[in-house]
Amino acid sequence: MAGALAAIADPAVRGAFREWLLRTADDELVIGHRHSEWTGFGPDIESDVAMSSIAQEEIGHARVFYEQIGPDDGSTPDQLAFGRSPREYRHAALLEHENGGWEFSIVRLALYEPFEAGRLRLLGASGHEPVAGLARTLAREERYHGLFAETWLARLTKAAVEDRGRVQRALDEAWPDALGLLETTPADDLLRAAGVLGETPAAARAAWEDAVRPILTGCGLAIPRAAAREGGRRGAHGPEFEQMLMQMTEVRRSDPEAQW
Amino acid sequence: MPASSMPVPPMPEAQPAEDDPERLARFTDRIAAGDQIDAGEWMPENYRFEALRLINMHANSEIMGALPEREWIPRAPTLARKMALTAKVQDEVGHGMLLYRVAETLGRSRDEMVTELIEGRGRFHNVFHYPAETWADVAIIQVFVDGAAMQTQGALRSCSYAPYSRVLKRICYEEDFHIQLGLDVWRALAEGTPQQRAMLQDALRRWWTPIIHFFGMPDKVSPHTEKMLAWRLKVKSNEELRQQFLRRFVPIILEYGLDVPDTGLRWIEAEQRYVYTEPDWEELKRVGRNGGPKSAERLALRQKFQRQHAWVREAISHGAAA
Amino acid sequence: MAAGVRPAPGDTPRSEAGDRWQRALDAPRDVWAVFLQARRRDPHIYVGDVHAPDAEMALVLAKEGYTRRDPCVNLWVVRADQIHATTAGAEEMFEPATDKSYRFGGSYRQQQKVYRSAWRLSHREEDQ
Repeated sequence: MAGALAAIADPAVRGAFREWLLRTADDELVIGHRHSEWTGFGPDIESDVAMSSIAQEEIGHARVFYEQIGPDDGSTPDQLAFGRSPREYRHAALLEHENGGWEFSIVRLALYEPFEAGRLRLLGASGHEPVAGLARTLAREERYHGLFAETWLARLTKAAVEDRGRVQRALDEAWPDALGLLETTPADDLLRAAGVLGETPAAARAAWEDAVRPILTGCGLAIPRAAAREGGRRGAHGPEFEQMLMQMTEVRRSDPEAQW
Repeated sequence: MPASSMPVPPMPEAQPAEDDPERLARFTDRIAAGDQIDAGEWMPENYRFEALRLINMHANSEIMGALPEREWIPRAPTLARKMALTAKVQDEVGHGMLLYRVAETLGRSRDEMVTELIEGRGRFHNVFHYPAETWADVAIIQVFVDGAAMQTQGALRSCSYAPYSRVLKRICYEEDFHIQLGLDVWRALAEGTPQQRAMLQDALRRWWTPIIHFFGMPDKVSPHTEKMLAWRLKVKSNEELRQQFLRRFVPIILEYGLDVPDTGLRWIEAEQRYVYTEPDWEELKRVGRNGGPKSAERLALRQKFQRQHAWVREAISHGAAA
Repeated sequence: MAAGVRPAPGDTPRSEAGDRWQRALDAPRDVWAVFLQARRRDPHIYVGDVHAPDAEMALVLAKEGYTRRDPCVNLWVVRADQIHATTAGAEEMFEPATDKSYRFGGSYRQQQKVYRSAWRLSHREEDQ
């Protein structure tokens, strides 16, 4: 498979598109990994099962994008997923945090899904096949992820004042990193100039806030005012991600020549 | 009223009172004729008790059974393995969901059963009290532990309690996928590097006795066993199931050139059965009382999450009452 | 009934001959029955239950509980205790006691004639 990048002649644009796809793949891999850690430990059996499906789909989405990036330098999806140093990953820091309480995971998913839906729309409009087509297909599964988060968020916040307080604290904690989802690099400027990315950073932020605001206020939550905490898109990740990567690669590193 | 405090019929005592003898005889005749009993039908208290104990333990085992393997989800060495293992463990949790529902039809609430389990007063199969020390343990669990469970579950598809029988058909259908996935991991390791083969052989060695234990001691001829068979809550004997397992799974070990961990295991052609080294049944009894190597740790882990989620569960059921 | 033994769900104090023929299903309030429609042309089929606080959550949870491997275009949920059912005691009334072939369009020979007729062949499209 040639992958999406082969068709882009301009090396600068190709590099920028690669970075965009890598962000997407890494976001999905990291959040998928975190969600998979809930398997067996959910608040009820049914939600355990549902969250586990979401995790599997996210990892599946990561693989789809790694498959598009890989051919550019001959990497397999597994090599991309497991084989880079922490600084080479382009996911947002929000997604690498440990799961914490259920409310944090639900808040995180509720903040991430509108961003991911927006990104898939933009990829779908990029004009670059097969990525554009794949993005439109994946959006079908994302819808359920958002539904799951919103349905849970509503129920966590409506029962008691203390409950809403807990969720508000989780939201306050997540907000700066959530804004980090929108962090841009020179790659974004290049892609916009090349007509591949059809939205300015300001428009992207507005679109995400417009999507997220009614979900949060509808649950009686206050929108935090904190500033963005950025760095993930440039490869700045914390100890939680380093530990996660060590764990993810533990078996592979035990026998580097082996097939699994 | 929150669902968890709805009135639920209490568990019958260990020695239920006698039922009307005529009704009991008719009931036993029905089962002898091959009939099944469905939810809501009259049944002897003893039948309810035994069916509930059997199904409750099965449900508990699915929930606790998720724990050994889920430790390897974060460490799964490829994206494909990661998704497959997550899906497999998810299925086990899903089976727990199906089985608790069946147990509910016999008169206990799910909350009650789960609380009992997590507080260490419930029982779950011996195999899930043991550690999953390496990635290779995943292959052993998925092929041999699930394979062992398949023997029992397969036989019980023809049990007399219809809701259980129906759910077992679905469970067996899904377990079949698990064994196929397990064989894929098994094959990759057995045909892999010397280190991988050694890891696989070692995992097999560590799991062998618990797997042999799984089927239980050879059945004593006892009134209890007779009744379970007459009521078709037991379909095959422990030894029959163990032999069935050995016939189906020992060849896999030999096919890949690995060693059966029991050097005393031998096929007796004339008797069409395996002889094997008698395992230490005391260990099985100890484990059955939640005294296995990982019992306390896993129950503590479940308790930790139960506490963490307590407000979430309260919030949800409060909303339900509204 | 012996002392200390409580009635089984669905059980009544009457003798077997006088048992009720219908009842509401005995299920906890938070149990929802799930019905799955595989394709648009198919009816919804009962596939099992979920525990959930309300209908919306029940649908969300049923999706992954019951459609992971099975094709689905639509789901229904209903509280299981809202389902009314005939009892096991009423089973025998469903079993025909007399010949009901009048419902099946006549004799075998006649049936075959109709089946092979031009009318039948031209209407086969409707089966699709």
